[in-house]
Amino acid sequence: MERRIFDPRAGLWLLVAANIIAFRPHTLWLELALVGLLLLLMAAHGKYSMAVKWAVGYCALLLFQQYILPASPKIIATSFTVFTTYARRMFPCLMTGSLMLKCTPLRYFIVGLRQLRVPQRLIVAVSVTLRYFPAIREEMGYIRDAMKLRDVRGLARLEGTVIPLMVSATETAEELSAAAVTRGIEDPAPKTSAVFLRLSPVDLAGMAAGLVLLALSFVVQ
Amino acid sequence: MSGSNSRRGMGGRDVITVGIFSAIYFAINFAFMLLGGLHPLLWILMPGFIALFTGIPYLMMCAKVQKVGSVLLMGLITGLIYFVTGQFTPVILVSFVIACGLGELVRGCTHYTSIRGNLVSFVLFSLGMVGSPLPIWLMREDFLRQITEQGMPADYVNTLAALSSSSMLVVLFLAPVVGAIIGGFIARAMFRKHFEKAGLV
Repeated sequence: MERRIFDPRAGLWLLVAANIIAFRPHTLWLELALVGLLLLLMAAHGKYSMAVKWAVGYCALLLFQQYILPASPKIIATSFTVFTTYARRMFPCLMTGSLMLKCTPLRYFIVGLRQLRVPQRLIVAVSVTLRYFPAIREEMGYIRDAMKLRDVRGLARLEGTVIPLMVSATETAEELSAAAVTRGIEDPAPKTSAVFLRLSPVDLAGMAAGLVLLALSFVVQ
Repeated sequence: MSGSNSRRGMGGRDVITVGIFSAIYFAINFAFMLLGGLHPLLWILMPGFIALFTGIPYLMMCAKVQKVGSVLLMGLITGLIYFVTGQFTPVILVSFVIACGLGELVRGCTHYTSIRGNLVSFVLFSLGMVGSPLPIWLMREDFLRQITEQGMPADYVNTLAALSSSSMLVVLFLAPVVGAIIGGFIARAMFRKHFEKAGLV
């Protein structure tokens, strides 16, 4: 089967919708509908196991918040309630994000952003930022190992973490820019792309459903 | 590439540099944002803590990219990622835009190379995070009711209400200024001790 692409424009629209809904007072039903819509989209893109995982995760979160937290000791309740509240509020956004991560290859994402007339500089900067997060984690792992080997302790650990991190960030910036300049990033001509982006009926339906939910969040209180 | 210093706009390499340092800035920022969930006091002091620890990446970015728009771009990236993770409120949006604009303005007035200018712009930039706890004072009753409805524990909300006196408002605004100044001086010391020797700045 041909790999289905989750349209980046649909993804961004759903992110916006999910964000607005998250910040308005909404009923549990609306949240359930939003999560359900995203689960359907995941299934429509052939990510069945992913849909099941998120569904189980959401149910667990809901059960934890509604039944286990009120019954648990106060100290645990106060420390975890904020986290579960944040997690629940962010859940639809995280779902959309992970679907985009799995089903929208970066080049399609960039084509989508270009079609939305996002400035090229912003596209480059945001893609670099997003790509650098896993790199930070990797670097931190190496730095921690090195510090263990040399038995660095106390406040020196902080300095020992920050300095190599900054040095490697600077070096990465240099190397990445050199590579990007070689590939013509500073060429003022409009960029072309080898891939085409067409909105599939499934994604279009998803966008429409997102719009309906958004409208409902304003109508039904 | 030698020509890129004379041009005013940001080129490809500047954009990439800003992108990488924004990632580090955001990672630190996000860590303290999560810590703020533990106790209301941590949340109110959060802008201060963030300022204390983000001095090095911010000033490093300033040293590397001496062009128009670098601070704005950094703020924009941070804002966008927060928006995607569903953490952004209108108040923080406004405070962020003002803070980034002022930070950019100060850098522009000091021609981007001045150390003092960069430090002042860092203080202003750090004030942007004040917008996160600010709704407690701006829309007190509404906000407390809203976060209670969103499922914040009653204890947290009560402590928050008790803490939100007008003197705490002063603390809220002073914390990032003090944090940024200390953070800036730590960064200066680190620059002298390591980065200048390594030939990075």
